[in-house]
Amino acid sequence: MKGRYEKENLYWIPLLIGFIFLLPFLLKYATFSYKYYLFVLNIAGIYIILAVGLDLLSGYTGLISLGHAAFLAIGAYTSAILVDQAGLPFMMSLIISPLIAGLFGLVIGFPALRITGMYLGLTTMGFGFIVKRLIISLREWTHGAGGLEVSSPVLFGYTIKSDWDNYYLIFTFAILAVVVGRRIGKSKIGRAFMAIRDSEQAAEASGIHLAKYKMLAFFISGLFAGFAGVLFAHTSHFISTDHFDMMLSIYFIIMVLVGGVSSIYGAVLGTLFIVLLDNLFVPQLEDWIHGYLNTNTGDIQSLIFGLIMFLFIIFQPFGLYGMWLKIRIYWRIFPFNPRKRFT
Amino acid sequence: MAELNIRNVHMHFSGVVALDGVTFDVKEGEIFSLIGPNGSGKSTLFNCINGFNRPQKGTIKFNNVNLLKKRPHQVITNGIARTFQNIQNVPFMTILDNILLGAHKRINFQSTVKGWINREQRQKEEAMGLEILDFLGIANYEQKYMAGQPFGIQKLTEIARALVAKPKLILLDEPAAGMNEQETVEIAKIISEIREDLGITVLVVEHDMNLVMSISDRICVLDSGKILAIGQPEEVKNHPDVIKAFLGDSADA
Repeated sequence: MKGRYEKENLYWIPLLIGFIFLLPFLLKYATFSYKYYLFVLNIAGIYIILAVGLDLLSGYTGLISLGHAAFLAIGAYTSAILVDQAGLPFMMSLIISPLIAGLFGLVIGFPALRITGMYLGLTTMGFGFIVKRLIISLREWTHGAGGLEVSSPVLFGYTIKSDWDNYYLIFTFAILAVVVGRRIGKSKIGRAFMAIRDSEQAAEASGIHLAKYKMLAFFISGLFAGFAGVLFAHTSHFISTDHFDMMLSIYFIIMVLVGGVSSIYGAVLGTLFIVLLDNLFVPQLEDWIHGYLNTNTGDIQSLIFGLIMFLFIIFQPFGLYGMWLKIRIYWRIFPFNPRKRFT
Repeated sequence: MAELNIRNVHMHFSGVVALDGVTFDVKEGEIFSLIGPNGSGKSTLFNCINGFNRPQKGTIKFNNVNLLKKRPHQVITNGIARTFQNIQNVPFMTILDNILLGAHKRINFQSTVKGWINREQRQKEEAMGLEILDFLGIANYEQKYMAGQPFGIQKLTEIARALVAKPKLILLDEPAAGMNEQETVEIAKIISEIREDLGITVLVVEHDMNLVMSISDRICVLDSGKILAIGQPEEVKNHPDVIKAFLGDSADA
């Protein structure tokens, strides 16, 4: 046993990427309403990019952000304005808009040097409200609360229009985001982030500049969220402030928590879990309640997500990824499991 | 000369005087012990050297570099690494990663980015930690998570994290606290090896007198922020003030 890479097997990565690229075809032959599933998967893909960034900030560095929808909004609106009003090519916007979201991350990262925990959560939440208000106020560019129509992305002269095309665009970048997120997490930057979360003293004594790395965490997180925002704006073709409300930010935190804090794969799993639940299970449940109990459910989604988060924090604090690790260990030592080990 | 010079250091926390004119030198290649009753300012002195606390008066120089001008994260680049009395580590990171945390300053930005693409670069990074793990004899723990490891291993990891930075001076804050006799012997062996094999100067705070007397070249006794005695283990052991401070002032002591 010499290092992590000696017995690392990566055969599943090409298999997974192959599966992701074949999934639309599978869905098309398996289901009648495959377009809806593609739409759901596209949302999941966009949120995966954001969740990876949020995991680096809240999971790794322990700086909670309850205003991450704001970064998504900044990325989306910046790109919409740059492409449709300033006439920049989509490729340029794909680089500039995340950078602007990242710079906003630095701005909000500045108070984070002093405050932590709940108070930082409140500050970032306030940031979310400010950004929303700002978007409504900047009427000439954003059309206020009325929302903004966004053109389709054009890459190398090819216009990406359908959900099918969007799927490949989004998941190419989602895979890229996961790879980059994981590399950051496993490099010295990720170690520094985790050290800041668990022991600031040890981090400082090891030569980690706390302020620099906290700002870096916010910058990287803003960058990822901005990237997700650009893709969101150009694939949903319509953005309005209603979409980037506080509940969305809280759902992002739930995604990271349910997936498993400080694991990039966990963030991916959590996002898929929450998005699929939100779009496939919750409408069914609402229909069922409406049909059998004859009452209107109202906002049952928040109830379900709150309950899920609650149960995960109590019974599976390491989330879905932690569950997966436990299952793997269970089968590795299968016949000799100590009693009560598997909980 | 890699020498630590502590000159007339005064430090008080509002009314409480923690250090009162502490002056001593730690010479290169020496194992220097700092002992004293609880609250005598040993850890405060460590924190002053490390930049966590700022003394109101006095100077602390290492290699003629004024450490009081340095921020805590800059101290390690001047060749001073430290461990903590109560273990400071990252529970949900493997032991190897915990150790590599100490190599933070040895890995520059370019090699980090290179490591994102290049596996050999990542292995080179890991080799830094594995080398130290081999040195401490806990190589089979490398891929285990820190959470749930025995206390002794956690303590050794703490030392490993300081060593991996390749310091010239290492500050050990109670390395044998909470260890049993066998582990204490182990720690004593490791401290000697740090000096013999790696050529690192050691400044150690410790309560275990057997350990202190067996490994130290020189000992400094602190009491209420003042130096009571300083010198060879034998001198210090028989110094009347030291006996008074440790055993109490009694006629038939």
